[in-house]
Amino acid sequence: MTPPLLPFELPDGALIRRFLDGDERAFRMLYERHSPRLKMTLARLLGARRQDVDDLVQDTWLAACRGLHGYRGDAKFSTWLTSIGVRTTLNHLSRTGTRETEVTDEFPAPASNGPASMIDLERALAALPNHQRIVVVLHDIEGFTHVEIGEQLGVAEGTSKATLSRARQALRLALSEGVSNAS
Amino acid sequence: MHHDDMANDDSEILRLLDELPRTTSVADGEADRIVAQLRREGFFRARARTMRWMLQAVAAAAIFLVGVFAGSQYARRNSLEDMLARQHLSVADRVLLLQRAGSAYVRAAQSYADATANVDSNAVEVASRVLLGAAHAVARSSLDAGLSARLTTAMQPAVSPEPAPRKPVIWF
Repeated sequence: MTPPLLPFELPDGALIRRFLDGDERAFRMLYERHSPRLKMTLARLLGARRQDVDDLVQDTWLAACRGLHGYRGDAKFSTWLTSIGVRTTLNHLSRTGTRETEVTDEFPAPASNGPASMIDLERALAALPNHQRIVVVLHDIEGFTHVEIGEQLGVAEGTSKATLSRARQALRLALSEGVSNAS
Repeated sequence: MHHDDMANDDSEILRLLDELPRTTSVADGEADRIVAQLRREGFFRARARTMRWMLQAVAAAAIFLVGVFAGSQYARRNSLEDMLARQHLSVADRVLLLQRAGSAYVRAAQSYADATANVDSNAVEVASRVLLGAAHAVARSSLDAGLSARLTTAMQPAVSPEPAPRKPVIWF
């Protein structure tokens, strides 16, 4: 006989049902399971405004919880949650305005010599224009398709592809010339 | 991950993107902020509703059981056997007891007669002897101003050793 699953081993669907029944612990388990990735994704989407990420994670979770009755399990919960996070971030960026070329101080200065490091890449990503950065993050890091990105951003699939091409070109340029000169 | 748009010169960028960390640490207090907000919005009241429903169900079951117990106690207290065993009965209760006992006798005799299909002489024997015994007891207590004595005399042939035709039951 298979022993019953421990609470932290329960699949997302079971935790969601428990949460909807009023189980706070089930929500905390969902939160602990998905927040580390959600926070990283939203921080990258925010670029230079990544200091707002904690508020956006909270807004994303609240929006997800309020709409959880409508989640039918067609997509993975993590994908569904990320989609809500993307929408929340887009609204935030459009509401607050952007300083697109400002590079966050959270990343140390790029190395002057040697191959591009991950920190250089993070800085280069943050320095990209919002629409380019969002497409790179969603496609090349999070694995969204161009169709899905088009639905999220309200653009055509071809537009997403073209934006991605320009974004990669900008990243190559930034990494080869140094992030401080990237635009 | 979809690298369908990968050009040759994208490979280094994609390799670096692949190596980027996918997660970051989450502070302990961040979950508490969200839980507090969700609680304000009523997300964790469902459990309280469930608990309240369960308490109501338990209370209803308890009331039902108390009712059943009280009802059984009342019924037992007013049973024939219990009233017969009680010493402190009012005159009215004793009159009622006598009537109920008499009715019970008649019903028992009738059911006995029905069960024996009117062909069993034992039915007549038993019914008559019980009735005669009751009449003797009533006669000894002088409760009926001599009626029972006359009745016992009238019934004497019915309890003779010889089988006799079945007599009708005297109804109280």
